[in-house]
Amino acid sequence: MKSFNIHRAYSIARKEVMHILRDPFTLSLALGLPVMLVTFFGYAIDFEVKDINLAVSDRDNGPSSRRLKEIFAASGYFRLVETGQAGPVEMLDSNRASAALFIEPDFSKKIKGGSRVMAQFVLDGSDNSKAAAVMGYLPGIRRAAQIRMAATPPRERLSAETRFLYNPELNSRWFTVPGLAAIIIGLLAILLTALTVAREWENGSMELLLSTPVRPFEIIAGKLAPYGILVLAGVSFVYLVSRLVFGVPFAGSHLLFLAACLLFITAALSQGLLISVLTRQQQVAMQFSMISGLLPSMLLSGFIFPVESMPAFFQYLTMLLPPRWFMAAARGITLKGADLGELAVPFLALGLLSAGMLALAIKKFKTDLE
Amino acid sequence: MNITLRAFIKKELTQTLRDGKMRALLFGAPIIQMTIFGLALTTEIKNIKLAAFSQPGDAMFERVTEGFYSSGWFARAAHAAVEDPFELIASGRADAVLIAPDGGLARSSERGDGKMQLLVDASNATKARAVEAYSKSIIAAAAVREYGASGEPAIQFDVRVLYNPAMESSMFLVPGVMGMLVCLITIILTAMSLTREREIGTFETIVSAPLSNAEVLLGKTVPYVVLGIADAALVVAAGYLIFGVPVRGPLWQLALVALAFVINTVSIGTFISTVSKNQQQAMLGGFMFLFPAILMSGVMYPVENMPGAVIAAAYLDPLMYFVRLLRNIMLKGGDSYVLWSNLGALLFMAAFTAALAYKRFRQTLN
Repeated sequence: MKSFNIHRAYSIARKEVMHILRDPFTLSLALGLPVMLVTFFGYAIDFEVKDINLAVSDRDNGPSSRRLKEIFAASGYFRLVETGQAGPVEMLDSNRASAALFIEPDFSKKIKGGSRVMAQFVLDGSDNSKAAAVMGYLPGIRRAAQIRMAATPPRERLSAETRFLYNPELNSRWFTVPGLAAIIIGLLAILLTALTVAREWENGSMELLLSTPVRPFEIIAGKLAPYGILVLAGVSFVYLVSRLVFGVPFAGSHLLFLAACLLFITAALSQGLLISVLTRQQQVAMQFSMISGLLPSMLLSGFIFPVESMPAFFQYLTMLLPPRWFMAAARGITLKGADLGELAVPFLALGLLSAGMLALAIKKFKTDLE
Repeated sequence: MNITLRAFIKKELTQTLRDGKMRALLFGAPIIQMTIFGLALTTEIKNIKLAAFSQPGDAMFERVTEGFYSSGWFARAAHAAVEDPFELIASGRADAVLIAPDGGLARSSERGDGKMQLLVDASNATKARAVEAYSKSIIAAAAVREYGASGEPAIQFDVRVLYNPAMESSMFLVPGVMGMLVCLITIILTAMSLTREREIGTFETIVSAPLSNAEVLLGKTVPYVVLGIADAALVVAAGYLIFGVPVRGPLWQLALVALAFVINTVSIGTFISTVSKNQQQAMLGGFMFLFPAILMSGVMYPVENMPGAVIAAAYLDPLMYFVRLLRNIMLKGGDSYVLWSNLGALLFMAAFTAALAYKRFRQTLN
């Protein structure tokens, strides 16, 4: 665009910066949200299921049943709870236990006699991820019980030694904190732009601005640049806290990470602009940004729920979402130290999507003016 | 209820519903979102790309890997026979690699413990944990197939899953997403609409009308309580019709719980509007509440796993009680202990937040 004048764009940007700085409440909230998210994900979220309340109905009360209970308690995953008056199933009904173990009266006698024994294990399936995790613990408990109770522990014929690459201790925060950059960009960049520009439409100052010699493209650049920088500040802050406070490793190239951030920020700012042009009303713009920006970047990006586990249709759908590609790039760079060659697909997709989004936003913005 | 107030509420309700975009957001968006999330999200880890490396002709190892691929959790990762396993994982072409012991699995199993090596990409810790748990059970089953049940422990667990025997994720996620949507819509809507009125100055006009402060507050907020409950009913119906999420408990319990919850969120929204100068602040203020509320609610992460201080804070989160109640009533049929203890907490908080909102609202009006 040959008529693009950087000075005019700069003036718009300066006015926008002053506008942001005059409103310390918005500024502190915009920077406060990332702080809160990092603290929360850094300290509070642990995906390992532990401390499962296990209600036991022991009708045997012999040496073997006591040993079995000890094994459950010593595994570190279960916490035995007294059933008291209520039966184990009532404990599940009232959320006081998540699993129940029933031991038959002749349990110890059968073990001593060397015959096979069956213990009933009942799980609360209303939280199916927890139930699945508990089911995964049972084989280990069985093996431990076998070794401690049988006269001759059986020889293990087949086994596997697992090596966890990139995150050997399966630390949950190494996994969530790098993904937070996607949430913060998806939230702040889209929402703030959508709202500020929608406000200009709402109170008519956009028309005023357009009647001046400033070109539409200069207005866009000037309005969006300060928010881009604000969002980048939020991401840098997350980066610092995750490195310094939580010791999350950063295996890859910082330059590559910055490039991924800039691409995703461009896509998000364009999306915000597009929303503001389409809605022209702050409240609707806000709801729209949440539906198309925040929720997909939290739920459909692979942040917590893996994309590969989704049904085929949704796997294709997520290909149209910039946060999905940014998430892949961010995790690849921070934990695996992946280079541009290995991340060619995410980067290409991110580049295409943000170019497309920007073109769409500018086109819509210009046609709306005429 | 006096006539002025009733007319006032009616006017507010019609005004909100007149806007087509607003109607779509209030009633269309929750259904679409719930459908997408209910269909797309699953807590079960599937389609794990597994590559297997062995010397040619290791028949037992081939049978073991067949067990992996036929389990439904693992998919074949395409790779050449001579590739570096670490490179496969680094480039993301495989999530896990199973490597046979030198000299073949059968020989290693005769002499020792038949130890294979499993490399897992742990950049996603949850997925890595699932991969390990799946492989253990698949390898144990393979050992039984090869050597008979002699290697099997003598203690068997007869596992039964209550309330959700097929372990479908939607049963667990739909009530949670429902609570989250109702919370989001009511808080943001109330906070932003009330702030908007202050911004454009319509409050001054209302104050000059012959209504008391309490009536103004009721007139402005009751419509959102009504809309919030309508939304809750809509999502319950959609969850039932689309996902077959049952409502095993009585409907009046659900209605009561939704009412108590929506009073909380509308009061919080009102409070946020009294401390915000413009809609942008109201929105960000809403998020300052919503984010921790959603994260601590147990919609996505179990509350019990969190550190003590966070669990203590979660007891101040109305969404935590609401989601807990929804899951209990819908899936377990409603236990009276759970109902009354959590509903009591919700009502107590509703009284507190409503009083606080009223106090602030009166101050800002005068």
